[in-house]
Amino acid sequence: MDDLYLENIDEFINDHNRIVTYKWLSLTLGVHVNQAKQMLYHYLDHKRKESSASQLHATYLVSGKFVENGNTSHKVAVVREDQLEDVKSKMVLTVSVHVYSVQKAALKDSGPLYSTDYDAVKENLKNCCKYSAIRCACAAPVSSADEQWGQETTADPLPEPETRNPILNGSSPPAPSKATAKQPKGIMGMFNSKSATRTQDSGREVKTEQKEKTTAQETSKTKVAAKASAISNFFGKSAARSSKENSEKVIKEEIVVQTMRVSEEKSLGSHKAEVDVKEEEHKGSHTAGRKCKDGRSKVKRIEESDSEDEQFESQKKKRRRIKKPQPDSSDDEVIADSSPSHNVDTRTPSPENKVKKEPVSRAEEKTEGKRRKRRKVLKARTFVDEEGCMVTEKVYQSESFSDSDSDSRSGPQPTEQSGVQATLRKKEDEHRGQKRSPVPSGKATKQPSIMGFFQKK
Amino acid sequence: MSEKSTNIKIRKQIASALNFFSPDNLGPTIMFSDPATRTDGMLLAPPSSGGAGGPVFDRVQPSYSSQSECFRVGERSFSRQYAHMYATRLMEMRDILTSKAKQTWGADVKVRRLCDLQNGEQCCIVGTVFKHMELQPSILKEISEEHNLLPQPPRAKYISQSDELILEDELQRIRLEGNIDTAKFVTGSVIAVLGVEKNDGKFTVEAFCTGDLPPQSPRSRLSSDRFVLLASGLGLGSSGGDSLLGLQLLVDMVSGQLGDQGEQSRAACISRVLLAGNMLSHSTQDKDSLSKAKYLTKKTQAGSVEAIRMLDELLVQLVASVPVDVMPGQYDPTNYTLPQQPLHRCMFPLSTAYPTLQLVTNPYQADIDGVRFLGTSGQNVSDMVKYSSMDDHLEVMESTLRLRHLAPTAPDTLGCYPFYQNDPFILQECPYVYFSGNAPTYQAKKITGEDGQEVLLVTVPEFSSTQTACLVNLRSLECEPIVFSSFCPEDEEESEMNISH
Repeated sequence: MDDLYLENIDEFINDHNRIVTYKWLSLTLGVHVNQAKQMLYHYLDHKRKESSASQLHATYLVSGKFVENGNTSHKVAVVREDQLEDVKSKMVLTVSVHVYSVQKAALKDSGPLYSTDYDAVKENLKNCCKYSAIRCACAAPVSSADEQWGQETTADPLPEPETRNPILNGSSPPAPSKATAKQPKGIMGMFNSKSATRTQDSGREVKTEQKEKTTAQETSKTKVAAKASAISNFFGKSAARSSKENSEKVIKEEIVVQTMRVSEEKSLGSHKAEVDVKEEEHKGSHTAGRKCKDGRSKVKRIEESDSEDEQFESQKKKRRRIKKPQPDSSDDEVIADSSPSHNVDTRTPSPENKVKKEPVSRAEEKTEGKRRKRRKVLKARTFVDEEGCMVTEKVYQSESFSDSDSDSRSGPQPTEQSGVQATLRKKEDEHRGQKRSPVPSGKATKQPSIMGFFQKK
Repeated sequence: MSEKSTNIKIRKQIASALNFFSPDNLGPTIMFSDPATRTDGMLLAPPSSGGAGGPVFDRVQPSYSSQSECFRVGERSFSRQYAHMYATRLMEMRDILTSKAKQTWGADVKVRRLCDLQNGEQCCIVGTVFKHMELQPSILKEISEEHNLLPQPPRAKYISQSDELILEDELQRIRLEGNIDTAKFVTGSVIAVLGVEKNDGKFTVEAFCTGDLPPQSPRSRLSSDRFVLLASGLGLGSSGGDSLLGLQLLVDMVSGQLGDQGEQSRAACISRVLLAGNMLSHSTQDKDSLSKAKYLTKKTQAGSVEAIRMLDELLVQLVASVPVDVMPGQYDPTNYTLPQQPLHRCMFPLSTAYPTLQLVTNPYQADIDGVRFLGTSGQNVSDMVKYSSMDDHLEVMESTLRLRHLAPTAPDTLGCYPFYQNDPFILQECPYVYFSGNAPTYQAKKITGEDGQEVLLVTVPEFSSTQTACLVNLRSLECEPIVFSSFCPEDEEESEMNISH
């Protein structure tokens, strides 16, 4: 082991024809610089003793006190072997002498020495001083901490509203808080539900799980009325969302959950909830571009979960809604009125939902670990319809992706409408148009609300 | 055995030689290459069988506090005239000069404003010097049609025999003549002159006095040697790559990779590195971009981009081992006017990860281990060299200290920010080490003030041409140059190695 380096150096010099400087050797072999210098000397000595006809040349580093014209200076010089004694004799005091480099060819110029060291250092910029003889305690890089901080600061504002909402709603059961905490940062609640949905496989069971998971995530809103308001919020929020796909999915999920919940709990707001659910159903069926063979329930499920997501950011949504230029101002007022009332209602059914939360939370945990998620992506699908005509339309298809892809999501939104059938377009706008500030092509963006159901009559 | 005796002989020689240099009686001045640090021949041996690696020394950590807040310019407004700066300069210096005048010429000397001058009465006046130079480039003359002048080429000096000194105060100005050396003064210095106003409206000077060194706060003596390395003019990005190995040797020495154990342990005493400007070479300032057509230069990268990247890589090696202060210089990518603001940290992605990197202003002032450092990257000194008869950078630096103003020629011939409330270039406290970067050669001198102030003046040479850096010993306030050299083909003929000065 000790003499292994001799062979290494031999290999570097003879086979690779390198200039082996002490610094390069120290970085390559991972040894202290002084040890590298000694290794080089040993190798040189060894080779010289072995065969006097060796073709090795060496450069030395000499440093010491130098006096010239009465001025003393400290001189550090890299010299060739033949100049070594000469330079040493000129110095008044020699402080250090060591081998600087060993190479096969005789160097005329010290340029290659620099380039060797430059390459070695460039590869090891992070720990260029790792093998040096001096340690500086205060020179600790803070880059990684900075990066994390940078990421966290960007991610912080987004989870905040979510976390705020449970507190606002008064009850924050552990399951949802855990769920919210675990939700990936940087993307709003929409994506939280999306993350829930991502993990689903093609099977519906997974979706059910996710739906439950999303509902668990928003357990503070598991009150039916809360859900109702969430749904209405959802339609306000979905416009704010740039990713329509998730909203679609979430809507459907939520609707399914809603229906389930409604059937189970006949609480105060159940009426409204039913109303909402139906509304959702309508909307779900009308949702653009979705030829869900799975049927309406799927749509509902997704919508529902999304609306539950909505509830988290009800504050945010409200703000957003108001900001958005709504062609129909009456809807705004309706929505604004309805949401506070819904919030009041949500508090009452809360105890009933707690029982439900536990199974949901368990379901949630199962899906927690999956990082590879599935999402609904708008894709163009060409098929032949009943009349024998080829139709190309944009459909949502589930596709698996991981977190890193999540950011490039807002693209397909404006193109959604092109493939959508006319009757569905209006609903689409309601779902997604609110986020886009330019009014979507031609259709009025009617802000959906719980009262929308009654208006449709 | 014989080796030992020669060692002892050499040590005695050195000890006697070093005794010559010591100012205080605490023993021989311990320069960087102390005989005690010799560990001769240790590295000319096979590695020790332990294989544990060499010793690792800890870098000394001095106390540090930056005092350059006055040189930071926050929100900048260029809608002001420079007259405010002169007014505030005079206002600040007037009291100092009045007291100095009374000290020098007696308490009963009359100090008059120019408007109150009486003919034939000996009195003292305080004001700002304006040197009227024929050769001073004047934009008005250049564009004036009646003169029909071609633009003047840049000259080394703009002084001539016909220069006149004029003293201005808040309201009036008066010609000075007599016992005053016109060539030594520069525009913008605030002085007090003693003399008589003659009939012809000129003031005949008998004597003059300047603000002299400001008060200096006492410093505690250090017990051990601490060093600060000063370097400037690294000149990265230039077409010639000769100085690069020297730079690498400098970095290696400071970070403790070069040299024997003794030298490495001494290098661990280097507590700070100060780069005084011009890290980038003059050739990175691409003037072509101004004259060349846009379509030719559109896709070309500025020369400074590559140079800054090289500087970043160099700095990361340094900051991993020692605190570094980087001052901008004339050719560095920051603002042109004094005070130059620090280089932006976004240019150094690798180095800013380390807290040891400090990007500081030019001029720069800091307390390192209780020793006040003050210095510039050299623009003020070289400007004064152009407009006065002084050639020696050290002499110019001393005169700025005596005038108590870092850059008197600002804003007249040296670009300067139009200050309004105060003039930050007036020295408030006397530094212990006063340096100026990018000088042609290395020089160091100690001066003392009237009240016992001691200042070490150091002209930091340009590294790209001289391969020399300065090492200041904080304990003894001595400076030693370090010369880096390598071999090149010409050395085969001559036996002498590269000598800087």
